[in-house]
Amino acid sequence: MSGTALMTVGVRAMSASYAALQTTSNNIANASVEGYSRQKTILATAPGQYTGAGFFGRGVDVKSIERTHNAFLAREAAATRSLASLDETRLYQLHQLESIFKHGEQGLGSATSQLLNSMSDLAARPADGATREVVLARAAELAARFAESGRNFDAIQLGVKSELTAAVDSVNNLAGQIAKVNGAIAAARGLGQPPNHLLDERDRLIREISRFVQVSTLPADDGTVSVFVGGGQRLVLGDSAEQLTVMSDRFDSSRQGIGIIEGGAPARRLKTDTLGAGSMAGLLRFQNEDLAEARTLVGQLAVALGSALNAQQQLGMNLRQPVGSVPSQALFAYGEPVALPADTNARGPGGEPVTPVTLTVTDASQLRASEYLLKPDTAGAPGSYLLTRLSDGRTSTITSGQEVDGMRIDIGPPDAAPTDQFLLQPVTRGGDAMRALLSDPLDLAAASPQTADTPSTNTGTVAVSALTMSSTPLDRTATATITFTSSSGAYSWDLVDALGAPIAGGTGNWVAGQPIPAPPDGDINGFQVTFTGVPASGDVIEVVPTTYPESNNGNALALAALRDIAIVGRTLQSDGTYAGGLTSAESWVAALADVGVRIEGAEASAAISDTLATQAEMARANSSGVNLDEEAARLMQFQQSYQAAAKVLQVAQSVFDTLLNTVSG
Amino acid sequence: MRIATYTLFNTGVNNLQRRQQDLASSQEQMTTGKRVARVGDDPAAAARAERAMIATQRADANQRALDASRSAMMLAESALGEAGELMQQARDTVMAAGNPSYTDAEREMLVLSLRGLRDQLLVVANRADGVGTFLFGGQGSASPPFVDAPGGVQYQGSDGQTQVDAGQPVPLAIDGRHAWLEATNPVAGDPPLSLFDTLDRVIGELSTPGRGDPEVAQTVHDGLRDLDASLNHLLVWRARAGETLNRQDSLENRIADARLGAQYERSLAEDLDMVQAISEFQTRQTGYDAALRAYSTVQRMSLFNYING
Repeated sequence: MSGTALMTVGVRAMSASYAALQTTSNNIANASVEGYSRQKTILATAPGQYTGAGFFGRGVDVKSIERTHNAFLAREAAATRSLASLDETRLYQLHQLESIFKHGEQGLGSATSQLLNSMSDLAARPADGATREVVLARAAELAARFAESGRNFDAIQLGVKSELTAAVDSVNNLAGQIAKVNGAIAAARGLGQPPNHLLDERDRLIREISRFVQVSTLPADDGTVSVFVGGGQRLVLGDSAEQLTVMSDRFDSSRQGIGIIEGGAPARRLKTDTLGAGSMAGLLRFQNEDLAEARTLVGQLAVALGSALNAQQQLGMNLRQPVGSVPSQALFAYGEPVALPADTNARGPGGEPVTPVTLTVTDASQLRASEYLLKPDTAGAPGSYLLTRLSDGRTSTITSGQEVDGMRIDIGPPDAAPTDQFLLQPVTRGGDAMRALLSDPLDLAAASPQTADTPSTNTGTVAVSALTMSSTPLDRTATATITFTSSSGAYSWDLVDALGAPIAGGTGNWVAGQPIPAPPDGDINGFQVTFTGVPASGDVIEVVPTTYPESNNGNALALAALRDIAIVGRTLQSDGTYAGGLTSAESWVAALADVGVRIEGAEASAAISDTLATQAEMARANSSGVNLDEEAARLMQFQQSYQAAAKVLQVAQSVFDTLLNTVSG
Repeated sequence: MRIATYTLFNTGVNNLQRRQQDLASSQEQMTTGKRVARVGDDPAAAARAERAMIATQRADANQRALDASRSAMMLAESALGEAGELMQQARDTVMAAGNPSYTDAEREMLVLSLRGLRDQLLVVANRADGVGTFLFGGQGSASPPFVDAPGGVQYQGSDGQTQVDAGQPVPLAIDGRHAWLEATNPVAGDPPLSLFDTLDRVIGELSTPGRGDPEVAQTVHDGLRDLDASLNHLLVWRARAGETLNRQDSLENRIADARLGAQYERSLAEDLDMVQAISEFQTRQTGYDAALRAYSTVQRMSLFNYING
């Protein structure tokens, strides 16, 4: 047996140790590189050489350099990061809403309350020009705050668009890189050894892309990995990648969605709810749910309050001379309801939708803070439609011209095509266009066109506390007399014109705490009167045309009384009375709480999902990352192996020398 | 479990950052004095604070309405008081005119002073509050409500009382017709008495020359009877105005209580409890300090430190 064998074993041991040292050093060098997987040298015993005396070992071979990788932990880390990214993005956007939903003196609630309170000041000093100026200033302030909220909503919406665009750019860039790395991995496959750095790089890219959009991956036999988004939509296949793009919403062009361009074909929309997680899904969820609903909350208040104030103002008397010559004008202008056809709806030659849909507000106090989806009821009778209220998902069947939630929906003609869809936005942009319309203090209608009085001949304790106009009078010059015909509240009324000719009359039964006439009986000559005290039989309430509107405050009182009336989101019952609903102040507080609770909830889920993502990333990194203490130990281990191998060589040398000396000696 | 060195450092840095953020938010709360700066901080508390703020503003508005009413009622009360004194003088003058030793010429002197008193009473009845409202204008009057007209002083305002809502209805003016022109007639069945008509009648009769003593005595008797009725009626209205002022005092207390309650509620909802905040700040400070120490200790430890040469 030759000394060469010993030499060979030594050399092999030395090079194996050297390789292990090199790998360890590489680990140490890359300890701080994110996504680097710890590598190790795979050593294998070299096949022994057979002799009559048995198999002699021939040392060690370096078989491969492998990376430590746990596919499950890597997937988990990517998926949880995706979810955390959704929550984080949504939370960030929700916080922007706090600039609109402010509590305290700077908020919309304060502006609303101060305007209505100024109506009480107007009632105290109806003839005072300065007080009238204050009311106008408060009205302008409220309109400005609503309009400012609209601008803020628009700015937030624009921010969503630019963030989405940036995210789509990143996803496209990353998808391209993954495709490129896939190609390089497939090419390196022929070498027979794993291209660790490329595998690490691809894992890192997939983790990175997961921040923007949730992906699923599928490894192929050639070592490439296909990447899918949106519930099975191919983004990367082998070494080719598709492109995502930002597309406008099919109804509302100010809102955005995500589309995919496959092989140069026109972009196709991806359904938002299939995107799963990632910052893009977070942005879209914020836009479609949180932002849209927040807008409707503000819009609902703007339209309901604006409409109630306008209606009451228009029922009153302004101070334009001569008295009563100029009808009272509305206080506010606000956004009109809109019906948006889908971009896929049937269109005429000029691009206009074949079937037009128009919305008309019939009772602003019944409007809901919601948008609606309208589509033909294909299973029902022709001309019937399905209307889905998006805030609670309640669906009803309607026909053209029907009134729902305070708005009338006119569809066509012609009837909509079976595939047509419409998004109805009764209040979404209600606050955006809010403007105060009056600039002359004389235009404020503080006076009521009618005045109520109880003659001193009454024997009961009735005192009129308010006369409120609720609709336009039949005859502005008429006098109404309400006479109590019993002490239990039965009354009769008659209305005579200026010449004493009877116009109308009736009877009723007064219930304590209720006005005369009480709902649902409507009104007498446009008014309802409330009073304190107890009427005796024969007592009279006289309602005459107002002679001196300069010092009458009846309508200002009615305007101030709107503070306590549920004018937002109430429901008209079948008996003609209203139920439910909130006052303007309560409606604002509820909106505030709604947004606040969203933020609080989003904060909690963001905290949880961030913890989960951090834990998953730690588990992944701990399993495949570098621990410097471990590497230090390995360094010593392989250094000693190297030294031992060197010793083997020295011994081989010395054995060989001994042999040479013997021969030559 | 093995730990990757990279994660170890990263986790350490992340923890330090989080603790620093906590400390900063504690500091922000303490400098602003607000626990709820944004609605997302505590939606329930923000909603409570908002409700309380609106209630405060409402109380302020009620107070302003009450102030307007009170100023009108104080002026009306003092005007009625003044009218009462003028009526008393008129009464004394009429009484003096009953002296049977007076000649027509002497009575004429008294009539002159009666005319003066009547005109002063008319001025008082037409008194305004300084911001365009007549104290006795009822539910509205564009010009002075009481005017001299053929057949006596007429009321041109609207009947009734203008009211304003200060949490409960309070009056802004007094029903002038009722107060001045509709005293209950002491002669049962006769129409209500107008104070001015009575004076006009007495003045007319006393200034008629050549009347006998019994006629004058009759005039004085009827005049005093009717003047007393009107005076009593005015005093009843004065008492009513005074009663309204009393009622307004207790209403003001209620408004002030409501305002205070709302302010307290708002403060409770959104303001910071300083004691708690300081204690929390110190806890966080200690936590941050400990984290810093732990980090610097752990990051110094490495096997490499123990490998020699």
